[in-house]
Amino acid sequence: MTDATSAPDGAGNRPSVVYKRDKKTKASVIWADRFAGRAITIGGFAVIGAVFMIAVYLVYVAVPLLSDGKVTSAKHYALGDAGGDVMSTTLDEYQTMGVELLRRGQLMLFQASSGERFDGPSVDLKGQRPSAFARTLKGDDIALGFPDGSVRVGQLLIASSVLPAQTVPEGLRKLPGGDLTDGKAIFTPVPGNQMRRLEPQLTLADPVQVAPAGTPIRFIDYRVGGTSERPVQIFVTVDEKGTVRLSMSFSQVNMMTGEMSTTVSSLEIPTSIAGDDIAALLLNTAGDRTIVASHDGTVHRFDTRDPAHAHLAETTRILPKGVTLTALAYLNGENSLIVGGSDGSLSIWAAIDRKSTGTTDGIVLTKIHDIANTGAPITRIAVSQRTRLFVAADEKGEIGLYHGTTARRVLTLPTDAAVKQQQVETLILAPRDDGALAISHDGTVRLWSFSVPHPETTIQSLFGKVWYEGYPEPTYAWQSTAASDSFEPKLSLVPLIFGTIKGAFFSLLFAVPIALLAAIYTAEFMHFRIRAVVKPVMELMASLPSVVIGFVVALVLSPIVENWIAAVVIAFGVIPLTLIGASFLWQLLPQPWALRLDGVPKLVAFFVALLAGLWLTMSLGPVVEHLFFAGDFKAWTSGEGSAAPFIFLLLLPLSFMLVFGVGKRLLGSNYRDGLRRREYHVAGAYELVRWIAFTVVALVVAGLVAMLLGKTGFDARGGIVDTYVQRNTLIAAFGIAFAVIPIIYSIAEDALGAVPEHLRSASLGCGATKWQTAAWVILPTAGSGIFSAIMIGLGRAVGETMIIVMATGNTPVTNWSLFSGLRALSANINVELPEAVKDSSLYRTLFLCGLVLFVMTFILNTLAEIVRQRFRKRAAQL
Amino acid sequence: MVDMVGGEMKMNTKATGIAAINRHKGSDLTARGEPMVWAMGGSLALGLLMITAFLGLIFWNGLTAFWPKPIEVVTTVDGRVIAGEPVRTESYKPSAADLSSLPAEARAKIEAAGGMSERTLYRIGNFDFYSNDFEWLPVFSVKSVAEPKNLMLVERSEWGVFIGKILSIAVDGKTTVNPPRAELDAADEQARDLRARRQAIERDKVGVINHAINAERLKARKAVLAHGEGSPEAKAAEDAAATETARLTKDFDRLSAEALAMRGKEEAVRVKVAEIGGQERDFALANFVRYYAANDVSFFQKVGIYLSRWWEFLTDEPREANTEGGVWPAIFGTLVMTIVMSVLVAPFGVISALYLREYAKQGTLVSLVRICVNNLAGVPSIVYGVFGLGFFAYVLGGSIDRAFFPEYLPNPTFGTGGLLWASLTLALLTVPVVIVSTEEALAAVPRSMREGSLACGASKWQTIKWIVLPRAMPGIMTGLILAMARGAGEVAPLMIVGVVKLAPELPLDGVFPFIHLERSFMHLGFHIYDVGFQSRNSEAGRSMVFVTALVLMVLVLALNTFSINVRNRLKRKFAGDKF
Repeated sequence: MTDATSAPDGAGNRPSVVYKRDKKTKASVIWADRFAGRAITIGGFAVIGAVFMIAVYLVYVAVPLLSDGKVTSAKHYALGDAGGDVMSTTLDEYQTMGVELLRRGQLMLFQASSGERFDGPSVDLKGQRPSAFARTLKGDDIALGFPDGSVRVGQLLIASSVLPAQTVPEGLRKLPGGDLTDGKAIFTPVPGNQMRRLEPQLTLADPVQVAPAGTPIRFIDYRVGGTSERPVQIFVTVDEKGTVRLSMSFSQVNMMTGEMSTTVSSLEIPTSIAGDDIAALLLNTAGDRTIVASHDGTVHRFDTRDPAHAHLAETTRILPKGVTLTALAYLNGENSLIVGGSDGSLSIWAAIDRKSTGTTDGIVLTKIHDIANTGAPITRIAVSQRTRLFVAADEKGEIGLYHGTTARRVLTLPTDAAVKQQQVETLILAPRDDGALAISHDGTVRLWSFSVPHPETTIQSLFGKVWYEGYPEPTYAWQSTAASDSFEPKLSLVPLIFGTIKGAFFSLLFAVPIALLAAIYTAEFMHFRIRAVVKPVMELMASLPSVVIGFVVALVLSPIVENWIAAVVIAFGVIPLTLIGASFLWQLLPQPWALRLDGVPKLVAFFVALLAGLWLTMSLGPVVEHLFFAGDFKAWTSGEGSAAPFIFLLLLPLSFMLVFGVGKRLLGSNYRDGLRRREYHVAGAYELVRWIAFTVVALVVAGLVAMLLGKTGFDARGGIVDTYVQRNTLIAAFGIAFAVIPIIYSIAEDALGAVPEHLRSASLGCGATKWQTAAWVILPTAGSGIFSAIMIGLGRAVGETMIIVMATGNTPVTNWSLFSGLRALSANINVELPEAVKDSSLYRTLFLCGLVLFVMTFILNTLAEIVRQRFRKRAAQL
Repeated sequence: MVDMVGGEMKMNTKATGIAAINRHKGSDLTARGEPMVWAMGGSLALGLLMITAFLGLIFWNGLTAFWPKPIEVVTTVDGRVIAGEPVRTESYKPSAADLSSLPAEARAKIEAAGGMSERTLYRIGNFDFYSNDFEWLPVFSVKSVAEPKNLMLVERSEWGVFIGKILSIAVDGKTTVNPPRAELDAADEQARDLRARRQAIERDKVGVINHAINAERLKARKAVLAHGEGSPEAKAAEDAAATETARLTKDFDRLSAEALAMRGKEEAVRVKVAEIGGQERDFALANFVRYYAANDVSFFQKVGIYLSRWWEFLTDEPREANTEGGVWPAIFGTLVMTIVMSVLVAPFGVISALYLREYAKQGTLVSLVRICVNNLAGVPSIVYGVFGLGFFAYVLGGSIDRAFFPEYLPNPTFGTGGLLWASLTLALLTVPVVIVSTEEALAAVPRSMREGSLACGASKWQTIKWIVLPRAMPGIMTGLILAMARGAGEVAPLMIVGVVKLAPELPLDGVFPFIHLERSFMHLGFHIYDVGFQSRNSEAGRSMVFVTALVLMVLVLALNTFSINVRNRLKRKFAGDKF
């Protein structure tokens, strides 16, 4: 611009300046405009996209829960014949080395990936060939039974150590795949220039004579219980004559000499089973239960809790008649049996305490899952050491990976067409549940690697009932962690969703009436100057941090409520009645007075009436508790005393409706016309008398009916009233209501305020009272706005976290009792996520909880938002 | 109720003919709906009462928590003597066993009161003597109460409060029995000084050396990772680190010895005390934080103690598993987190709102997006926490660790919860709030102003920058402040993405690069949860929780009040007429 206007002064002879306007926009302006446009568009997209990514990411993390996993590799090779007398085969946790224990006491090693085979160490079995063999579920401890009636226990483990690569001796034999061996151990390179050394170790203790000399042991099962400092070795044996013996050996260190001494005690369990019938023998780690199964599917369960009085507790059939037992094993945890029958059936049986009289200890073996009829009989089962997974092979050599609790085949392990499927002799599930090894009769080895990260979660287990072992029936259960190893996580979302809904329902039951009534009063009855003070104060409530509300509610309020619980319960009836009673008293005022006092004095009167109601509840509380709840409300919730008071409470609304309805009919229009002819305050007096009479009648009617029902022994408490706990739903609901009331109030008040003023003017102008205008003109118009206010309040109640964490016991119960706790989705995430291991089933399930919450609130909010936008449009058109 | 009224309305129309004659005399009571009006007014009163009671409770308890209370010596009916601060009195229901042991007269009195009686909670302190520091005393078990002047209340850096007598002090081997106040103060000054010097060595110098040693180790590890193990570069780096570490270790040892010697001197200043029952014990005087003869302080001294406790609370670090001391790290953590969050949320929120309102073509898609953004403001905060942990900390943080901090692995640097991820999570949580309020503010700028500006030849960006944004600024600020208030008061997602109960280091300090966004931090809201629910004795931390809640609430309420005021002023400015 300056260029155009400044004239070259030096050239005087030229004509006067030509003002030429530069019509071009400066480049910098154009560039700034373009840049801002691009940046804002990209930034806007990015932010909105990022926000939506939340849902996408939650889905991305949660989806693998439902996948079955996959087989990552499958290979097969022929392993030379080991002389036909392999007793047991083990695989290490890295699936590097297989170890075969031969009957002559020799260990044979082979590289699991190739089948390259070499001799390992051996033990001297003193010329005997074992007649029975057992190993513990964890796999390291073994027991051998001998033809002379003796037993030797010991350990067979694959010791693993990591050494720097430099310290590995020179001149080792190379194995396929980069492994090395010195004939005793296998060395595998691992990252960080190190070597992992795997070496089998076999030790056997001295023989212990269990059966009479010369009676061969036919079956043996072995467990190591007790503590790690003081292990107790337990084994159960069946000898050739069918005698079942339970033996325990304690190792004790002598305090004086430091020598280790072992004492073995054996005792016979009285049975009537023929020796030849026995198909399987199972013992548990606690040593309190022994199971002897016959070929025909009969199971004898012995109670050996007190070894001196070991006895047969239960005899039951676990297979239909005519079906032979082909495989039997404990599932991890030693509570459930996996049963394979000759008809190809595969089922899970659990010992469940049913307080039954049919067995000596009340426990009954019950079929909890039928997995599948595989067609061919199951011959071999290998169970996981850490989960409820197991692999099973059938007669045709087909092998599947199953999950016990969810009762399904997770994976079918594929076999190369080139391999002739033969009956499987040895079946192993790798210690980390990530592979399986099967050796057929002809020495063909099949090795699979698979990854099954979340076998325990299916749609059914997350959202349906699952029959967990130890439970009397299928249930919804949430229990993510426990101390013991054999624990099985129970990840049902149903108790959590239920808890969320329960908390939200009760809090809204409390919050919605208060918030809406208060909003209507503020919008329609209040002077705008007072409204300008009251509304921000209520909105201030919305900004209170929920952690502060939770703290006050849980630590300050809950002990008070516990002491005054009867008063709190009757407050829900007494306070409204006091307010309404006060309104009838107010009607006694002559009309000029009533009009003059309509503003602030009336507001003060509300407070006075409210405080009077509070005082009344406080003084009535102990009396009511004494009269109706046997003097102790908390004991009453646990089922003591008569149910009549509760029925009375339930009947109250009904009897009030009935009495007021019928009463009005009885009085008829003559009464009403009579009222109209009277002065305002005189009519008020009639009304007061009528109201008191009706209320008393209603109370009496409800009381009489409740007494009658109570006499008949009808108890409605079940399921609705449950044992009182200090941090309960009532407390939490009050806390959530505290957080939700201002939200509903504020939005509802806005909606009422948005109703066009001319509607109000018209109604009042036609002679309607304020109340008539509010009830018949404003409320219907603002209805959708109020609906959206409730929805948004519900959304907030559903997502509330800290109050629920603090004010409830976080117990995953599924009953509707106000006096028991709850566990909501949000609180559950908050409590469990910090401890959850990344990508574990629990971690993903918690993400699923987050997703469910997201979806729930998103639906509620969308509904509210759409309704609200419609309402706005309509309100604008009115 | 509504049904009833409905019925009457019908009757009303039927009976108009008759009623018309007598209209002048009375009026229809049901038309006034007095019971409903009272139900509504009562609800409002209840709401207001609830919030007043709530605020009153927090303010009263928070403000009085630090006020020095007298020590009462209570002799019980069964002859026990207890000295303690009365904390609060409540009515309760004595158990049947308690009642049966009472004399008939007292029992009759309780029964007359509906089975309720009163009891007082005493803070008896002396956890190391009694292994219990609070005791409930029922009214009926109290025989007499006295307030002797010689009892001292001592706040200690370990074991909490001591209540009892000071018998003697020993300074430099010289013992004074029944020390006069001046002498006690002088000895205390000396012990305090020694402790401050030792702590300066331990915290600052030794801390720096520790940091340096760790840095050397990491340098060597980085070289190994970069060049492979056994490579010449790695060897050189390892050697350098070894010599440097040796040098540092020598310094470290020297300073440790110095600190140890200092500690010996500090421990040599002893004090001997006796609790009310006569049990005696001997402490290092440096253990005393504050002491006063509770029943012998003037009003001004009380004010002094009150203010010094507030000062300690606001500026010191927590002690005794967070139940005593201050909350400075939590205040600082909350502030830094909120500021980082605002820095992140402000530009992005405003840009998205500008895009939605000024740049995007208004249509179904944009209104859909708008509904969704509105909704996201209502998605529970915990869901954002889940996302923050999974995506920010594990995915983003994990990648940053692998790319930039491989030498720290397997210890995560950014791959776990921390300040940055917490701020980002909260930014994501509050961005809808900012978008919605900014959009509202933009929409409130009249179209005519935009058109005027464009007609004068301004470009779109110039219009936005010079015309629209300045007018929308108060609205934008309101949204931002609301977002800050929400962020400051939010706890649930933070518990997952980086807030801890005790952070050893502040996120801002003198070690390069000065601001440590990867560190976990303390937060006022989480402090409330932790002290109130996770500590050994929730009673011991109760007054702390009230004070913390007060501080947090004042912070949040101040932000909110400010933004509500701004909004109201705006509304008045732009609103049309209304009656």
